[in-house]
Amino acid sequence: MPRLSQIVFLMAAMFMAFAARPAFAVVEIDINKANVEPLPIAITDFQSNDDLGAKVSGVVEADLKRSGLFAPVNRAAFIEKIANPDQTPRFPDWTAINAQALVTGRVVQEADGRLRAEYRLWDTFANQQLAGEQFFTRPENWRRVAHIIADAIYERLTGEKGYFDSRVVFVSETGPKNARQKQLAIMDQDGANVRMLTSGNDIVLTPRFSPNRQEITYMSFEGGQPRVYLLQLETGQRELVGNFPGMTFSPRFSPDGQRIIMSLQEGGNANIYAMDLRSRATTRLTDTAAIDTSPSYSPDSQQIVFESDRGGRQQLYKMNADGSNQQRISFGDGSYSTPVWSPRGDLIAFTKQSGGKFSIGVMRPDGSGERILTTGFHNEGPTWAPNGRVLMFFRQPAGAGGPQIYSIDLTGYNEQQVQTPGYASDPAWSPLLE
Amino acid sequence: MKGSLIISAGLHALLIGFALSSFSSPRTLEVADVEALPVDIVPVESITQIQQGDKKAPLAEKSAPTPTQRPDPVQDAENVGENKVDLSNKAPKPAEREIVAEAPPKPAEKPVPTPEPDPEPQPDPKPVEEAAPAPQPEPQPKPEPVAEPKPEAPAETEVAALPPEPDPLAEAIENAPEEPAFEQLPTAGPVPSARPKPETPKPQPTETAETKSEKPAEKKQEKSSASSAKDSDFNADEIAALLNKDEAKGGGAKRSTETASLGGSKTTRGETLSLSEMDALRGQIQKYWNIIPGMADGEDVRVVVKMRLDQTGNIIGNPEVTATGGSAGTRSTLAGSAKRAVLRAQPYQLPADKYAAWSEVIVNFDPSQMF
Repeated sequence: MPRLSQIVFLMAAMFMAFAARPAFAVVEIDINKANVEPLPIAITDFQSNDDLGAKVSGVVEADLKRSGLFAPVNRAAFIEKIANPDQTPRFPDWTAINAQALVTGRVVQEADGRLRAEYRLWDTFANQQLAGEQFFTRPENWRRVAHIIADAIYERLTGEKGYFDSRVVFVSETGPKNARQKQLAIMDQDGANVRMLTSGNDIVLTPRFSPNRQEITYMSFEGGQPRVYLLQLETGQRELVGNFPGMTFSPRFSPDGQRIIMSLQEGGNANIYAMDLRSRATTRLTDTAAIDTSPSYSPDSQQIVFESDRGGRQQLYKMNADGSNQQRISFGDGSYSTPVWSPRGDLIAFTKQSGGKFSIGVMRPDGSGERILTTGFHNEGPTWAPNGRVLMFFRQPAGAGGPQIYSIDLTGYNEQQVQTPGYASDPAWSPLLE
Repeated sequence: MKGSLIISAGLHALLIGFALSSFSSPRTLEVADVEALPVDIVPVESITQIQQGDKKAPLAEKSAPTPTQRPDPVQDAENVGENKVDLSNKAPKPAEREIVAEAPPKPAEKPVPTPEPDPEPQPDPKPVEEAAPAPQPEPQPKPEPVAEPKPEAPAETEVAALPPEPDPLAEAIENAPEEPAFEQLPTAGPVPSARPKPETPKPQPTETAETKSEKPAEKKQEKSSASSAKDSDFNADEIAALLNKDEAKGGGAKRSTETASLGGSKTTRGETLSLSEMDALRGQIQKYWNIIPGMADGEDVRVVVKMRLDQTGNIIGNPEVTATGGSAGTRSTLAGSAKRAVLRAQPYQLPADKYAAWSEVIVNFDPSQMF
């Protein structure tokens, strides 16, 4: 028979067991919806003795604003005037105007003639510096420094590589429509520093940037026969790619820059060939009685996407880099052309012709998740920004006028025209400069 | 033929008779008596998280019990308990005040302070006389004990009569005659010194005050006489408790100044946020969570933010942010946006009475549906 003390102990233990629940509960909530709106960012004029500071910060601001992911706060709203960019700013002054990030900086002409540009990126709500760097360059390169700073801010805040320090090669078109002069041109991605690369005597088409060198491959009608050429940007040196009997077109570099993949006309058909730039050895990848063209490598070089009319109308196909395992991936209405594999690898951009309209769209590499970004009378030739986030394409309006280059965000928002001196088509985005 | 007719008639009669008796009219279908049962749908919170309030009061946003009145602050009783030291020092003060207070109603008693040394008899007769005429039935028997002590210790009775006004006198006088029990007496002293206080408010209603104020005086006489009688087992605390005529102070922890509103008889221990309060909190943070669409591996990232809140709903220190999955860049970006969201959302609007429940908040950010 249990003694009284044992019973008391047992009861006490039971009481403890029930009473020992945690007094302070923790609230746990799940949030799975977010706002998608540009991040408000305050970009102050960089401190300098001349107007270069304001110019640099102006370029940074324009870059970030054009990306559509940032909403620069109007400078008139600034409460604190940054006197010394090395000092911690008064964060409440910036949170008060709802700036979630703050950029301060300074541009100094060094004694040796170099330009020193430095910036600091602050998180105004967390009260801390997110990034800070300084760069030295030649004074005439101030725009590049500004783009590099914009890239650093973009990368720190979005988690993705920037794309501002990049260039775009395109076909500049001048003159009347029936005698249009087409020149190869290059510009910064924001439309500045336009430079003509060819004289305009011959028609040029489909320029493509090398992924890792200052090289361009393009098609030119020089000598009457359309051929693929290679152009060194630094030296202006030009050479014919391959020595094929028929016409070659729609060239593109492989991701490592060692090969060029292109179409070769064989009678009424066209097939895809790859050429090694060092050994000049060519490899035939397709062999069909159809027109296979516009090949584009996946970023890992393992696969190639291309367009073919072997099924009756132009559709997108995918194959291994050695030409095996060819399979169709586009099954929508209309015809698909000019596929480009994203540098990120997750999407393929294309031109879709359907119902008398041209659209720019993206789909996953397996053909699923097709999404149209823009539709119009004539949109064509998408090209990816180096970070796979933004696309450029050209748009030809109905009736009079000529083509213009537009950029659009991967999400289909933020479509903007890229300012070019004249009409422009066939843009090709460079990788990030080195 | 005749026989068959009879049989037939008999059988028919039998059949008809059977039918008449067994096939009666059908019973009416009884409809079951169904009573509608009134049902209230009550959220669990109304039981588990009920707040103290007044059951008869109307429903309000926040339940509150009937308002309690803050009692008037009572000055510290001096020399209460076993404190022997400051007895002689501080006792006189209350005495003077009381005299002033009582002075208006009883001009006759005024002389009391001055006669302290000499005219002891003067105050003595007056209270007795007053007590006798006004409340004849009650006071009369009580004065008798007053008279009893008189022979034993004449000085004491005088003091006892005085106490309502000049307590210290009583002590002083008590001390004087009873020299042997000098040490013990002072302990009895504090009792009267603390007691007069309740009497001070009473003089205001002049007529009744006289009768009432005398009662304690009479009792005191009894006590003082008793105390003097048996010095041995004297407990000052017990007497203090007996003599304490202060009304019980209303309220303690449950003091309320709000107008009464519907609520339970006591607050049940339901310190968890209700679903709607959780939703409100979620909405508050969600409003400030801003992400960049179309990130390559954004849907793989999960961010957990732990934060501690103070009573005003502001974050204490730095929120603890943990991000998992995805690439390093996406992770840090989403972690930053989640941190900004919780920082921007403060101060959090949460029910203050449930602070224990939301002093620590964990927020799970799941962007997978956004990409």
